[in-house]
Amino acid sequence: MNDAAPALAQPPYPYEGPAEFAVPVESALRQVVDPEVALSIVDMGLVYGVRVEGQQVQVRMTMTSAACPVGDVIGADVEAELGAVLPPGHEVEIEWVWEPAWTPERMSPRARSFMGW
Amino acid sequence: MDARTDEPASAIVHGLVMPVMATQGSSSNLGGRALHALLRALSLAAIGSALLAGIVGGLLRAGVAVPLPAAEAAWPAQAVLGHAFLMMSAFMGSVIGIERAVAVKHRAAFAAPLLSMGAGVALLTGSPRAAAWLAVAAALVFVGVNLVVVERQRAPHTVLLLLGALAWLVGNLLLGLSPNATIAIPWWFSFLVLTIAAERLEMTRLMRCRRGTAAALYVCIAGVLLGAAAFAVSPIEGGLLFGLALIGLAAWLVAFDIARRTIAAHGLSRYMAVCLLLGYGWLGIAGAVWMGTSLGHPLRDMALHALGLGFVVSMMLAHAPVILPAVARIKVDFGGFFYVPLALLLGSLVWRLFVAPLQGVGPGAGALGNALAIALFALTMVGAAVAWRLRHPVRPRCAAAPAAGPPAPPARSP
Repeated sequence: MNDAAPALAQPPYPYEGPAEFAVPVESALRQVVDPEVALSIVDMGLVYGVRVEGQQVQVRMTMTSAACPVGDVIGADVEAELGAVLPPGHEVEIEWVWEPAWTPERMSPRARSFMGW
Repeated sequence: MDARTDEPASAIVHGLVMPVMATQGSSSNLGGRALHALLRALSLAAIGSALLAGIVGGLLRAGVAVPLPAAEAAWPAQAVLGHAFLMMSAFMGSVIGIERAVAVKHRAAFAAPLLSMGAGVALLTGSPRAAAWLAVAAALVFVGVNLVVVERQRAPHTVLLLLGALAWLVGNLLLGLSPNATIAIPWWFSFLVLTIAAERLEMTRLMRCRRGTAAALYVCIAGVLLGAAAFAVSPIEGGLLFGLALIGLAAWLVAFDIARRTIAAHGLSRYMAVCLLLGYGWLGIAGAVWMGTSLGHPLRDMALHALGLGFVVSMMLAHAPVILPAVARIKVDFGGFFYVPLALLLGSLVWRLFVAPLQGVGPGAGALGNALAIALFALTMVGAAVAWRLRHPVRPRCAAAPAAGPPAPPARSP
């Protein structure tokens, strides 16, 4: 846990870190799209949390399936997109988590609308 | 199991298919990289030879005069006899095995595709018995891999993947125990159909489903498996049930797959949806024709290839632009040209299965069109990979390069 100020914006996932990074980080994560469903990982609810502490950026993420092979590709895309918006020197670490399991309730209203909910 | 505990080992595992990882610190030595490069090249050669020989075997079966390099070579005869085995067990089995191994992030999981690649090589070098038992070993390992997946995520779709792996094992065992591959074919198709259905079931969780949706799918899956099992002892009843279950599965997929939604998107997402929905149509046709074959109509070529080419290969065309980057770390630029091999595949299949029989001509021209479509798709993938590389000439770290041209957001806004 760090003592950084809370984010000014309210991303749809827990964010800890400097407030000035909250919006660019969320925008960057929204650039990472799962091509199968045409939705960003944020809209899909795959991002469980982001913590920026010093130059360390930790992204906690899940996938909808443990049998899905595209996790590392999406992880690499997350690293690349965050690298493009954060000052040089920041290191991105992806932490894959399976608990709590992803459920459709994690999808954003926009995503749920697209999928006909 | 919490995947976090596996992460430290993943860099080594993935080295088999991905020489450089952004997060692993590129600590592997030159020898290790050379070994990985060699393994990749050998794997590509083994899978490619299984596909190529399987296609040549299919063309020869269809009466196409394929120019062959050496008259004394044993492999063309083996390719003709083992066409179904090469396409489903050696090629698709290896591709799906790699896909699953990448997902579970465990070095031992790659034993399954390595064994099935070995099975293909054994067949083509004139050892069909060894090939069958290598395939049994591959499927045994693959069942173990899927048990790991189920342990990590106990969900209907992971159990379905496990059932698919078991169907592959049964099919390979039947081939090992009997030289009659015919009774293995419904099991091999069950492996592919269940694997695809499981992956689609996972995606349907994104959509709101009515009560009974999942139960309807399970009834279809049970019909597929019971039909495959009954086929060995009672081909008529088994075939009828198998075909009926395929029709039910096709209806289920059309009704509940997210492709009905994502076809409203753009780019790669829409292309995938088009492939999927067309493939479901072929699945339904395959089921009906399979039933007709069981009732004595001479439609065997139509039944097998409506399912194998119309459904399975359409699924392959849909998923390859997403799966290839995942398993081989090769990014591709999606473009409209991807629709060309799809159109050629479906057009040539319509010609082969419907027009040619009506005109009283053989399946050769259609089969040649099918083969050209697969070759054109392979070229399309190569071209798309080159296009991506040309647009991203500077890549300081392989895995850290951003995805090119992500699909546009959904066309419909909330």
